[in-house]
Amino acid sequence: MTRPFILSASIAEVAFAVPESAAPILYAAEAAGLDLLVMGRSGARPFDAQVLLAWAAPLTSRLGLVATVPASNAHPFHVARALSAIDFLSAGRTGWSVVSEGAPQGMGEDMVGAARALWDGWGSDTLILDKASGRYLDASKVSASNYEGAFFKVAGPVNAMRPLLGHPLLVVDGDDPLAVADADIALFADGQPVPPASKRLLKVAPDADPAEPMARFEAGEIDGLHFTLTDALSQLPVIGARFGAPVSARPSESGDLRARLGLPIPSTASNQPGGAVIPENA
Amino acid sequence: MMDKQIHLWAFLQGIGFFPSGWMHERANPAGVFSMDYYARVAKLAEQGMFDAIVFGDQLQSRGAGGRTPERMAMPTLDPVSLLTAMAAVTKHVGLVATVSTTYNTPEMLAERFGTMERISGGRAGWNIVTTAHPDTAPNFGEDDLPPKDERYRHAKEVVAKACELWAAMDREGPLLPQGRPVLVQAGQSPDGRDFAARTAEAIFCPAANIEAGVDFRSDLRTRIAAVGRDPDGVRIMPGLSCVLGGTEEEARANHLAILDLADDALAIEYLSESLGCDLTAFDPAGAIPVDTILDRTILPKADIARAITPAQEKGTPLGDFAANFMRHPRGHNVFLGTPEQMADMMIAWRDAGACDGFTLQPSYMPGGLEDFVEQVVPLLQQRGRLRTEYPGSTLRETLGLPAREAVAA
Ligand SMILES: Cc1cc2nc3c(=O)[nH]c(=O)nc-3n(C[C@@H](O)[C@H](O)[C@H](O)COP(=O)(O)O)c2cc1C
Repeated sequence: MTRPFILSASIAEVAFAVPESAAPILYAAEAAGLDLLVMGRSGARPFDAQVLLAWAAPLTSRLGLVATVPASNAHPFHVARALSAIDFLSAGRTGWSVVSEGAPQGMGEDMVGAARALWDGWGSDTLILDKASGRYLDASKVSASNYEGAFFKVAGPVNAMRPLLGHPLLVVDGDDPLAVADADIALFADGQPVPPASKRLLKVAPDADPAEPMARFEAGEIDGLHFTLTDALSQLPVIGARFGAPVSARPSESGDLRARLGLPIPSTASNQPGGAVIPENA
Repeated sequence: MMDKQIHLWAFLQGIGFFPSGWMHERANPAGVFSMDYYARVAKLAEQGMFDAIVFGDQLQSRGAGGRTPERMAMPTLDPVSLLTAMAAVTKHVGLVATVSTTYNTPEMLAERFGTMERISGGRAGWNIVTTAHPDTAPNFGEDDLPPKDERYRHAKEVVAKACELWAAMDREGPLLPQGRPVLVQAGQSPDGRDFAARTAEAIFCPAANIEAGVDFRSDLRTRIAAVGRDPDGVRIMPGLSCVLGGTEEEARANHLAILDLADDALAIEYLSESLGCDLTAFDPAGAIPVDTILDRTILPKADIARAITPAQEKGTPLGDFAANFMRHPRGHNVFLGTPEQMADMMIAWRDAGACDGFTLQPSYMPGGLEDFVEQVVPLLQQRGRLRTEYPGSTLRETLGLPAREAVAA
């Protein structure tokens, strides 16, 4: 498989929180070929990104939906549940980005550890759904999470399900980095240390000249680009025109977000290797 | 006519009202993990002119005595997420999410519901609960739930603070179309009723028969008036499940067929779950293990003893007791009959002052909802008791409630 060129953007305007603004932006993001739309960003949190993602799920079909989650004003049990629901509603297109925003040192990392433990309380093949035998699930695949960190103590498992992606994509941002193992996507600006992650996306201006970043992608230095949108409806078409070609030239768009972007489920989930499997209805 | 309008809510949590409902041939247990399913049922509710879709909520995984029941439909996805996704594929139907005041901060609540309220164009409702299941506490780093009176006292503070935060959100961003979500309550105890009288704009409750409905509604209206609020500004919406048939006999046969889907193991699992005490090791043909139940249950022991004693005295075997218990899930009205009889019953309850409408709990999903919308809704409309179009765009308008009032202190 050729290496996918990944296009990502973030949006944090409060105007996004009404349907008249939000729907056209979602459609424009898909039309521009974006792989990831990050809702909210560090220091700007005018809406609950997880709620908006749930709304965006049925209105989009390929866009990765990434929620900014504040470590200080969220609880891993609620976050793990909401992201699990959104992952099912979007058929495996969720991500999350935990931001510290003045939370005590280590709280963001603790949030990630706790939520991952809650998801891992479910095996990927827990569901049976067999009407004939009356067995709904395999109880041996469900276990308490019993996560205990410096800030959060959560028994679990989460009363949702293991997400289709196993774990939603974890996005870390060089502006507000988290020290976590197995992040999926790192966002970084030139001159900034790159947080460790499977894929590295360079932050560039929405009107950037394509030549240089594309050369860096070809050289294997970066895996794609991230744009911070301030006027999404006018910026998204420009981004699509300049950078959308390598995305639309990808041979296959099928599969969930991990399959499409070449991101295996992190090895921290090794006790539960895959994402949730929903059996064919009996 | 309008004052005798029947309001309808659809309680669409999970895979149906009966524990055996997921095994019905017209149930779609895999569907509850897909958007297609939620889009379909949301549109059906809107087609049926329901005021709102309601989702209950728990903050612990199911499991009695530390076990996970293999035979019971189990995962409950986050209701705020599901309802907000439904907002994207509908225009009118209201969206009532159950959220606990015990395990959410006012800031979290205000932000979540504020976003839901804006993005749905003013269709959000909050079913305020205080969380009663002891297994919840360890998910939030605690050993035990706070005592009930403390949970209600805290709930009052959380609601007041959330209202302040919504007022601030309203000033600082796009307007919240309803100012704040419609405040809903579900609770039965005197503490719960007092809280509802002060706070709620709509109440979800069980009422097994018309007399129980009249009693509950009269009691609540008295309490509402006593705190200086207008009882006509509060909708009382008891639960209603149903199994329909072309004739009464057919409805009874359909009911038995649903119950027959359940084996002893499922019935005992359901009873174990409800009592919070694992009974699966006991012989279904043997006596009800009352001592074990009273020793291990996490629910109020006196209530449990009162419920079990008559069966124990009659010598009812455990399996029969469990099967019978499963026929009346959670004390709601379960109607068996023809669509005409159901419409008549609903009108009679409304006219007797037993309710302002009903919270329909389909016995299996989505087939049970389809039947009601196709067969009963048109009858209510023909009799002028159910709207044929929505009056406005917000949930408060749909419920026919006055613009938001201040929450009584
Ligand atoms: C019809 C009905 C539905 C309820 N649904 C929920 C629910 O989904 N989640 C929950 O935590 N509590 C639910 N409750 C209970 C809570 O409203 C309440 O916090 C709890 O029962 C303790 O208060 P009470 O003794 O006043 O009922 C429900 C209660 C009733 C009567």
